[in-house]
Amino acid sequence: MDEPVLKISRLCKNFDGFDALKNIDLELGKGLMIGLIGPNGCGKSTIMKCISKIHDMTSGSIEVDGKDIVKLKPAEVAKLVANVPAESGPTFGMTVMDMVMLGRYPFVDRLWWETKEDEAAVRKALRTFGLDALRRNQVSMLSSGERQRALIAKAYVQEPKLMLVDEPTSHLDMKYKLDVMEYLQSMARSDMTVLVAEHDISLMARYCDLCVIMKKGQIVTIRDPKEVVTEQLIRDVYEVDARVGLDVDGEIYVLPKRYVKI
Amino acid sequence: MSEEEKKKEPWIKAGFHRMKEKMAVPVEDDDTSEIALKKRRFVVIVIFGIIMAIVAFIISICISSGGVISVTEAIGALFSSIMKGGQNLNTVELYIYQARLPRAIAAIAVGAGLSIAGCMYQAIIRNPLVDPYITGVSSGAGCMAIAVVALGITIPFIGSSSSLYAIPIAAIIGGIVAFAITMTIAEGSGGSPTNYILAGVIVGFAFSSVQTIFLSLAQKNLTNAMWWLFGSFANITWENAWIVFVPAMGISFIAMLWAREFNLFMMGEEQAKQLGLNVVRFKRTMMVVASVLTAVCVAFCGIIGFVGLVIPHACRMALGGDHRLIMPASIVLGAMLMLFADLIARTAMSPLELPVGAITAMIGTPIFAYMLMKKGRDYNG
Repeated sequence: MDEPVLKISRLCKNFDGFDALKNIDLELGKGLMIGLIGPNGCGKSTIMKCISKIHDMTSGSIEVDGKDIVKLKPAEVAKLVANVPAESGPTFGMTVMDMVMLGRYPFVDRLWWETKEDEAAVRKALRTFGLDALRRNQVSMLSSGERQRALIAKAYVQEPKLMLVDEPTSHLDMKYKLDVMEYLQSMARSDMTVLVAEHDISLMARYCDLCVIMKKGQIVTIRDPKEVVTEQLIRDVYEVDARVGLDVDGEIYVLPKRYVKI
Repeated sequence: MSEEEKKKEPWIKAGFHRMKEKMAVPVEDDDTSEIALKKRRFVVIVIFGIIMAIVAFIISICISSGGVISVTEAIGALFSSIMKGGQNLNTVELYIYQARLPRAIAAIAVGAGLSIAGCMYQAIIRNPLVDPYITGVSSGAGCMAIAVVALGITIPFIGSSSSLYAIPIAAIIGGIVAFAITMTIAEGSGGSPTNYILAGVIVGFAFSSVQTIFLSLAQKNLTNAMWWLFGSFANITWENAWIVFVPAMGISFIAMLWAREFNLFMMGEEQAKQLGLNVVRFKRTMMVVASVLTAVCVAFCGIIGFVGLVIPHACRMALGGDHRLIMPASIVLGAMLMLFADLIARTAMSPLELPVGAITAMIGTPIFAYMLMKKGRDYNG
């Protein structure tokens, strides 16, 4: 078996006495799309921020592509791990091209200007994500779906081994949701490991190779979505009743029932 | 249609109308290099900036409260006075060499310095309302400067220069002390951009209140104190012009080396960190650099408002979000605005000299308001 792209052992993260992550163990292989599922505040974002070194871990170890991230410089981590944030704030007149170009920051070792190769990588990404025609527009002019694609494109030009995507579809309509998931899946098929945190379980069950279920800072289970997404699991993790079924194409769907306190 | 439905109707239409305005405009898929395009724009800014700065400089030395001299005469006198090294000058040469040249040099440096400091703060704090005085530097500097005036403090051992340097030295000390307090409070509360602003505002209030007390004590020297508080280049001579020019321009140019890092900061601290920037170290270093730059600018010329807030925004509106273009453009535009403001300050109501801070706002506000109305719709911070 190949070396795992991500190897987390006994990871703990504590915020002022609150245990956000408790003894997380996780190994992910190459070219997989993995869904991270769990209720709000269960530690999905924290785990991602620990992997990309935005937060320092309290204890444990994280290896990406066989390298211990604690020993790596921030720029070296940025070449291995890319992080697509849940939302981006005001962008101060930045154009789409400017924003995606920021993804090349870890690679540019000279002062000021990026190289032609950097620009070629950015243009390729812009074309891949259907943003090339919009490259001179300000990010603030884009629709939510386009903005999300621009954020993914920015992470894509980092050429990471591991892509962490936090709630990519939270503000998107159905078309853009599918759009984004298709892009993420095609990146996973091109040997990038993609870890997605998301609340739309039906969508995750359709696209992900594996689902990691989290609750209260711990991993409950890691399995194939078809095995793991059950009415019992939804009740255990989210504390709501839901109907889980298969549609005519054999795809899983999850419909929450009206709220009844259990 | 019921009354209630009628009320809703126009509101829906207005909403639809706005949506249409915000649509992005696609461009052709061609292979024009955007980096090459940016480099060209950078060169244009530099060349245009140098030409405009020279023009503004020449206009500024040609016009004075005594009248207007011809461009050839002014340039001739400028070169001949420099060639003579400031010795044995005739009246025109003396006037240009002693009175106008140091003022123009200081105006260029202070205009550029305050604009760059404002630009740096706006990027680091990610707030469009931030100006160079946000960390309490101006209040601290003001408080100490007024204390010197009010209490008649002089510096021993430097003899006749005492009056020339007492205020600037006090102002620099006050500015840096105020910034140190702001930084201690802000970092103690987690170091978030909002906490920096809040800490700066309260430290500013504290120093301003002490300053008010000193102001009321400074009855005899109130005019002196007022001059400093509203900003003026009247006290600039060859002796102190260099002390403003060298550090202010030096820091401004050096700060431009980190233009890409400022771009990264636009995405927020977490994203900047994720892309490989040591965010904490960068933020602290740049805060210190910007505050020292601000302190140098206010020390000799007093508190000149408006420039540091508005020049970076005007450049952003015109050039987009890339600091590799915004920063050099801010230097140029800030210097030009300050040169013209100083020109108006000393000539408009001559022989009376007006506070330059008021003039910067008077020239700048209508221009900025026009830009805001033209471009504000697409401009987000």
